[in-house]
Amino acid sequence: MNRSINCIMLIDDNSNDNFIHDRVIKKNGFANIVVALTSAIDALNYLKQQKEKDLVHPDLIFLDINMPGMNGWEFLTEYDKLDTDLQGKIVIIMLTTSDNPDDLEKARNLKALSDFKTKPLTKDMLSEITVKYFPF
Amino acid sequence: MNQETIKHSELTFQAMVESTPNAILLVNKEGKVVYLNNQSEKLFGYTRFELIGRLVEELIPKRFRTNHPKYREGFFDSPSVRAMGSGRDLFALRKDGSTFPVEIGLNPVVTADGTLVLASIIDISERKKAEERFRLVVESAPNAMILVNQNGIITLANNQTEKLFRYDRSELVGNKLEILLPERFRQNHPQHRNYFFANPSARAMGAGRDLYALRKDGTEVQVEIGLNPIDTVDGLMVIASVIDITERKTQEKIVLRQKELEVKNKELEQFAYLASHDLQEPLRTVSNYIQVIEEDFGEELNAEVRNSLNTIKSATNRMSILVRALLDFSRLGRGKTLSYADCNKVVSDVVSDLESLIKSSGTKLTIGKLPRLNSYETELRQLFQNMISNAIKFKKEGIPPEIRIESEKLGEQWKFSIQDNGIGIDPMFHERIFQIFQRLHPEGMYEGYGIGLANCKKIVELHGGRIWLDSEKDTGSTFHFTLSDLPI
Repeated sequence: MNRSINCIMLIDDNSNDNFIHDRVIKKNGFANIVVALTSAIDALNYLKQQKEKDLVHPDLIFLDINMPGMNGWEFLTEYDKLDTDLQGKIVIIMLTTSDNPDDLEKARNLKALSDFKTKPLTKDMLSEITVKYFPF
Repeated sequence: MNQETIKHSELTFQAMVESTPNAILLVNKEGKVVYLNNQSEKLFGYTRFELIGRLVEELIPKRFRTNHPKYREGFFDSPSVRAMGSGRDLFALRKDGSTFPVEIGLNPVVTADGTLVLASIIDISERKKAEERFRLVVESAPNAMILVNQNGIITLANNQTEKLFRYDRSELVGNKLEILLPERFRQNHPQHRNYFFANPSARAMGAGRDLYALRKDGTEVQVEIGLNPIDTVDGLMVIASVIDITERKTQEKIVLRQKELEVKNKELEQFAYLASHDLQEPLRTVSNYIQVIEEDFGEELNAEVRNSLNTIKSATNRMSILVRALLDFSRLGRGKTLSYADCNKVVSDVVSDLESLIKSSGTKLTIGKLPRLNSYETELRQLFQNMISNAIKFKKEGIPPEIRIESEKLGEQWKFSIQDNGIGIDPMFHERIFQIFQRLHPEGMYEGYGIGLANCKKIVELHGGRIWLDSEKDTGSTFHFTLSDLPI
């Protein structure tokens, strides 16, 4: 059980995927809290209102690319504009069906983005992420 | 008129004549020179004392002399101001025997000694030389060049014009330009020409319209025409420079088609990408929920339900792989890079990648000397990989595969052959096996998705080649493909 990840945020318009990802995280005890959101705008508002509404600050965000309204890329652009104290030390990992090389290339060039993974999120993937980004 | 006045007017006349830049001769009815000016002395090389009293025919080259007295008499019969020779080229003879081209104006002059003819002579050697130079330049131009006067008559046409229009120039010069125009353009053309002469400037003809010219044999050719006004002694003319653009138009069409094709391919690729992306999502949901059921209710499920779940799971897996394969196929060759590749190295790399398969199947490989050529190396590797692993996969039960890879130069291309001793392929399937998702064997007998050879075909075609095979059922197969040495 790794307690250095308190809260994981899932941003994915597909609630089935959110359900499965939430399940695999909780079942294997990778985080205490999972905030699953189906829109990138909701996620952005969540981050903005963390303090006033006393919301839990996420340590790790799994972000989908293809979403209606604001997509993953647009979310990252908006995220970059947030105050640093709102950003905290969030690790953002793109989690998507896409293995489009164009997307991979784009992901590589984005500083805010730490990693790029293909769905579905598995126990092995989570272990690997924990070791790599949350070693303590 | 008294003597004084006459004397005075004679002097005035003399002073005028001496100061003109033309050579002037006065000749009497008998054809004798009665007067010549300074310019004439210079031009003909005689002093006036040598020439006065001599027949004017002495200044004409011998070949033109015979008819001259007759012309002279004609002039005195009806004296009037006129140009001599009307259209004929005139030549004069110097004292030293040399001849030169001239232009001569004739004027009757009535004097106390009777009617004389005043001949004003201009040496046109320089002008003739300039004309000749102009003709040579036109002749050597790489385009068809046609000189046309204000009446639309062709006055000059060069060698390229003969080639382009397939007329002899003697058939063109003196004719209306309209014979080089298709019927439908003839009527309006004089209007265009008049407009040009009214506003002469260098310009492209037709401004955006497609121009066509008519050959002698009645065929049409698409052309581009540049127009240039030229001032000549015969008045303002237009020189038309004509280029055959049939080839260029064909090229333009090809380029356009290629661009369309590129767009279509891009669309298709995008379609395949989106389709496969969207198809993956429900598939993933299905397999995710099967996992949920297995995890949460695994122990409660009986064997039959568990069996069904396994079948669903393997079907979704298979579909997932097919969808991905479709995507890979559509993306094949995208972002490809051309390099000078050594096929020997490519094949030996593939062989070492397949080492465990080769060992476990007891495959015997014989590889001939292969060429180096400009190719898409990544795709080429995939091609050999598919070919070799197919040859191993479709082996005969109990017989270790024997594979022979050879190449030979075939014209501009290289031909490769991959021969095996496997199960062979009935000729009725030879076309079908290269289509995507076409398999010849029931599932479970040979692993695969019917994608490998479709990829091979696409890769070969990327290299401007083709792929085919010689095979009968049970006799092994030889796959052949050609690759072009692509220009880098």
